[in-house]
Amino acid sequence: MTARPLELELRGITKRYPRVVANDGVSLRVRRGEIHAIVGENGAGKSTLMSILYGLVAPDDGEILVRGESVRFRSAHDAMEAGLGMVHQSFKLFPSMTVAENVVYGHEPRTGWLIDRAAATRATGELASRYGLGVDPSARIEDLRVGVLQRVEILKALYRDARVLILDEPTAVLTPQERDGLFEVLRSLRADGRTIVFITHKLNEVMALSDRVTVLLRGRVVHDVVTVDTSPAELSLAMTGRAIDPSRRRPEHETGATLLEVDDLCVDDADGVRRVDGVRFSVCEGEIVGIAGVTGSGQSELVEAIVGLRASTSGAISLRGRDLAHANVHGRREAGIAYVPEDRHRVGSAGRASTRENLLMGYQWKRRFQRLGWLRRRAVADHAAELIESYDIKVSGPDQRVAELSGGNLQKVVVARELAHDSPLLVAEQPTRGVDVAAIEFIHGQVIAHRDAGRGILLVSAELTEVLALSTRILVMFEGRIVAELDPHRTDEVEIGLYMTGAKEHERAGA
Amino acid sequence: MRVPEPSVGARAIRDRLASVGTSPVTMALVLSFLLCAVIILVTGVNPLSAYAEMWRGASSGSGPRTVIDRAVPIIGMALAISIPFRTGIVNLGAEGQMIVGGLAAALTAIHLPGPGAFVIGVSFLAASAAGAAWALLPAIGQTALQLPILISSLLLNAPARALTSYLVKYYFGDPTATSTTTVAVPEATRIPTLGWLSGASATAVPVLALVVAIALFNGRTAPGYQSLVSGINLRFSRYGGVAVARQTIVSMGVGGSIAGMVGAHLVLGQSGRFVDGDLAGSGFAWTGLLVCLIAANRAVPILVAGSFFAALQVGGLAMQRSAGVSWQLAQVLQAIVILTLAMRVVPGMRRRGSSEPTPNLEADVIGQIAPGAADVVKV
Repeated sequence: MTARPLELELRGITKRYPRVVANDGVSLRVRRGEIHAIVGENGAGKSTLMSILYGLVAPDDGEILVRGESVRFRSAHDAMEAGLGMVHQSFKLFPSMTVAENVVYGHEPRTGWLIDRAAATRATGELASRYGLGVDPSARIEDLRVGVLQRVEILKALYRDARVLILDEPTAVLTPQERDGLFEVLRSLRADGRTIVFITHKLNEVMALSDRVTVLLRGRVVHDVVTVDTSPAELSLAMTGRAIDPSRRRPEHETGATLLEVDDLCVDDADGVRRVDGVRFSVCEGEIVGIAGVTGSGQSELVEAIVGLRASTSGAISLRGRDLAHANVHGRREAGIAYVPEDRHRVGSAGRASTRENLLMGYQWKRRFQRLGWLRRRAVADHAAELIESYDIKVSGPDQRVAELSGGNLQKVVVARELAHDSPLLVAEQPTRGVDVAAIEFIHGQVIAHRDAGRGILLVSAELTEVLALSTRILVMFEGRIVAELDPHRTDEVEIGLYMTGAKEHERAGA
Repeated sequence: MRVPEPSVGARAIRDRLASVGTSPVTMALVLSFLLCAVIILVTGVNPLSAYAEMWRGASSGSGPRTVIDRAVPIIGMALAISIPFRTGIVNLGAEGQMIVGGLAAALTAIHLPGPGAFVIGVSFLAASAAGAAWALLPAIGQTALQLPILISSLLLNAPARALTSYLVKYYFGDPTATSTTTVAVPEATRIPTLGWLSGASATAVPVLALVVAIALFNGRTAPGYQSLVSGINLRFSRYGGVAVARQTIVSMGVGGSIAGMVGAHLVLGQSGRFVDGDLAGSGFAWTGLLVCLIAANRAVPILVAGSFFAALQVGGLAMQRSAGVSWQLAQVLQAIVILTLAMRVVPGMRRRGSSEPTPNLEADVIGQIAPGAADVVKV
């Protein structure tokens, strides 16, 4: 194994930003035909390193070698020419075009002046079947699920004959089954002599997939080992600089009065398609009800109907016995609902507004913060300082625009703001998506503390480990219906995954 | 001796003053005057003497009065546009709102008996109501029928021109006049001029007060906060419980009301009668829109930019008289100023390695006009 030649080598890569050294002498050796995991918390410098590898950011210092030759990337194009292919977290595809058209984009097979669509479809199909990527080349992107889109991104890189495939948090959007499928694909790529650089937060994936692990902490390489020689505990210690107990405490707790009651709720979208179909459940005080489901199974619509962002078609929603049918978002917030939305960028924050302004949302009419409509600037500033402090949000100051914050820090802004309302019911949608281990730990701790304080929590997450770790009860949604109610002590990821994909369905044993 | 620690506000002002010299705005102005100098040179005139004439024209003789009288409607229209703009609503119908306001004021002033000050007050109220009503049409169209305000407000300018023209021609015209116009408003209802303000119209004072009021509203109040956030990300403000439909109605109504009062000022303070086509031809609505864009919807920068553009236009006329340079050159200069300001977004023009986030006017403006336009193609 050690005899394999180096495919990619970084020597002393350093990148300084005005307030932070993102990469501090990072050296990395990736061998041909290896799956190399890079792990680290948010802000550890993974993203910067990837941007450098991909020619998007120029390092201040250091050297990149591809197959032993020193290279200098001035653009992503240079990186592609050198045989590097990147699969980003958010996909860069044209929704109205087919898979094949997206795959060949920029390097289209031509007959004369025209694009040879048949050749494009054929080439895409061949690549897909060669590596077991079950993708229909003539399908339209907008009709495909997220897991398939990722495969299209991989195909794009393979079509350009990427020797090194760099995947940035590839499993964040996948179901367990899709994740296992992706791992199979990556293994077959490895068998074909391709090299894979895999960036993740998830240590179980590192253990399952990688040959070698590099751990980054505050811009430096702090650990570099062969995977079989390490353990999740050792890696997590290296990542955070402190020990985290991966097995979660879940103390016994008392559930109190019913908070949220959803009765026979149906929600249709603008096109009249039924997204939520006769859903019925309740959330009590001191309880975390987890909703699991593949993205697009109606969870978003259900949540939006509960918080008042979407009209329901039929059925009833009540909070502490009070019917919410005629309450708008403001009225429901007043009635006692706080909400951490799934999309912190598009819904949960205003990028060009300051951290202070983002932390104020939902509080602007509270007596503490205004008098006759005039904001009490001192109270607003204190509120922001307090939350930044107690949630350890890393900002240069309350005036920093949240668009400049890392994903984990922005999520902390959103979570801090919503938890600080201390509302009886918290609706938390993907509360830890794309944030690092320490932030996950912290957010989970906050959610549990909230529950222990007698609040009710409706948790929607695609992260099954999260649903399993936190929930008192688990509801599984499939095609707009709740297809299972499970006890987290008596189920596992496999069973939930089967319900999530419709492979298994049974009558609920009553709500 | 200990220097007393300046207050937060004082420090902010000091920092702001210190940064003026190197600010992108200053750079843009210097650059545009240089570019324009080249153009003037090509026409065979010494740019230095042309600029000197420009300065003299705007600063001496009747210059200051003309500048203020020009600045008042420009600033007024910019403020009117900025209020909905700041909440993310593009109101392109300010011109129509100004015109209906102007006619409402003229008719009130002509037909309402009473002491001058009283009639002026009622005329402004009538103008304000007319402008607001005209602006509420597209606002209600958007909230009730999903008709985009951007389009409907723009389209309502033509009916405003046509309707007022028709009313003046067939019902309220001055039979002795050769053009389509109302009779002159009574002398007592003309807005007085102020000696201490170089003889400029007294409307300058309430406009200044309006700048202060809007600046305070924007920066210090809960609805002002909501409007800022809505302009940046409407989904976020809806998520936070802002009543977006009501906000749309109110901001359009207030904007229309201000535009209507600008119309009243132009009739009672300038022409003394409602002349068909005069208000539309003035171009104040569009200059106001540009000023609002450059000032990124902020009230005090609107005051500065509006005054600057007024001075540019007045100086341009003087330049034509004395230096023989076409006054259209002032408009060219105006356009170059706008372009150079917008140019700051070109990568590489920004100061590299700056620790401050570069203020990004164009992204702000684009964000205002088309929230989400900056998003890459994503699935």
